[in-house]
Amino acid sequence: MIYRPSMRRRDFIRTASEGTLVVAFGGGVYAVAPSEAYAKQKRSDGRPRVPPGQRVLTALKPMGGSPGSPSRSQFRLKVYGEVEKPFELDFKQLLAFKKKTRKSDVHCVTGWTVLDAVWTGTRVRDLAKKAKVKKTAHYVIFEAAHGYTANVPLKEALGPKVMVAHRLGGKPLRRAHGAPVRVVVPDLYFWKSAKWLTGIRFVKRDQPGYWETRGYHNHADPWKEERHS
Amino acid sequence: MSDAKPRTDAKPKRKKSRIRWRPWLRAMHRDIGYLAIGLTLVYALSGLAVNHIADWDPSFRQIDKTHQVKGPFPREEKARAQYVLDQLGRKQKPKEVFEISDTELEIVFEKRTLHVDTEQGEVLEEGQEPRFMLRAANWLHLNRGKKAWTWIADGYAVFLLFLALSGLFMIPGRKGLIGRGAVLAAVGAAVPIAYVVLSGGP
Repeated sequence: MIYRPSMRRRDFIRTASEGTLVVAFGGGVYAVAPSEAYAKQKRSDGRPRVPPGQRVLTALKPMGGSPGSPSRSQFRLKVYGEVEKPFELDFKQLLAFKKKTRKSDVHCVTGWTVLDAVWTGTRVRDLAKKAKVKKTAHYVIFEAAHGYTANVPLKEALGPKVMVAHRLGGKPLRRAHGAPVRVVVPDLYFWKSAKWLTGIRFVKRDQPGYWETRGYHNHADPWKEERHS
Repeated sequence: MSDAKPRTDAKPKRKKSRIRWRPWLRAMHRDIGYLAIGLTLVYALSGLAVNHIADWDPSFRQIDKTHQVKGPFPREEKARAQYVLDQLGRKQKPKEVFEISDTELEIVFEKRTLHVDTEQGEVLEEGQEPRFMLRAANWLHLNRGKKAWTWIADGYAVFLLFLALSGLFMIPGRKGLIGRGAVLAAVGAAVPIAYVVLSGGP
């Protein structure tokens, strides 16, 4: 008996190639579709509201990470390094600190953006003021659970919208978003906004953090698409 | 009739000795393929899951519910927590109860937290449940465990290199490496090169 394949090898390869092209271009169209409604909006600094390569979503997506303890009773935040008065806060002490509620946009390196997320917390600049940051400090290292770190230049870390947030959208910060407390650095890709925050360390020299040492950009400006190094 | 005898001084024609390396290569390819199966599944499944992290949480299922509880609430912290748990019909013992303020109470379980607003009687239940298998696969893939896993992952990378290279020479084919194999290998190598060129690179 002679074996006769139902499809010739050449036909099989051609069909498989065509299928792959359809899937690839279909996916491409989906990924690069612009968010027309926001395309013309500008920020106060003249930059477009939505950075290039981003699509607008309506809610924050949980982006993983190794979860830290969500316990508010055991929470401690250390502010130290190149400061004159290092200190540590528990959750109630953090709440007693000067509180701010701010709307800010979130830009994730994976390509999504959420506009006008409402964060409540304490500004990093207010914590820095209490710690009396030395002139020798040039960078801030945000420290989080399981040794995660993210580095941000001091000037940007002390921006008016950069805060240590414990509420999102008026509700307590959820575990998936870094409960009990995360930092929010709105003008950089969101991996800089460390979840499950445990420390703010002021340093003289830059120290690339968890993702920065794994191929991600050291600075992470969404308008320059500083995604990877 | 010739009486000539066969010449005995002529050296017998020696057969060219050939090392049969392809069967060895195929056997090694097969055995290393068997050894690599576990890690291939871990990396491939987790790779698919993590590639689409913008569309879903590859490691956890999210818990997000809102409940309404009627007051008045007891004054004491633990009694207040027990009152909420009774109202919600929860039997599980919490890990921790924490009164954040006069109107905010937090009841913490292993995988979920109840945030109670005693003024509004609103209970926000949130948390995350690990996805079966994928949580562990993603943890390994992203090398969050560190330590010895780095060595294992390095060994696996060496295995993959061997599988890729040995695959080129396993079956000779009619034209050797210059036939269909060369075309397909060139396409395979061209994909990353073309992507870097067309996308503008890093």
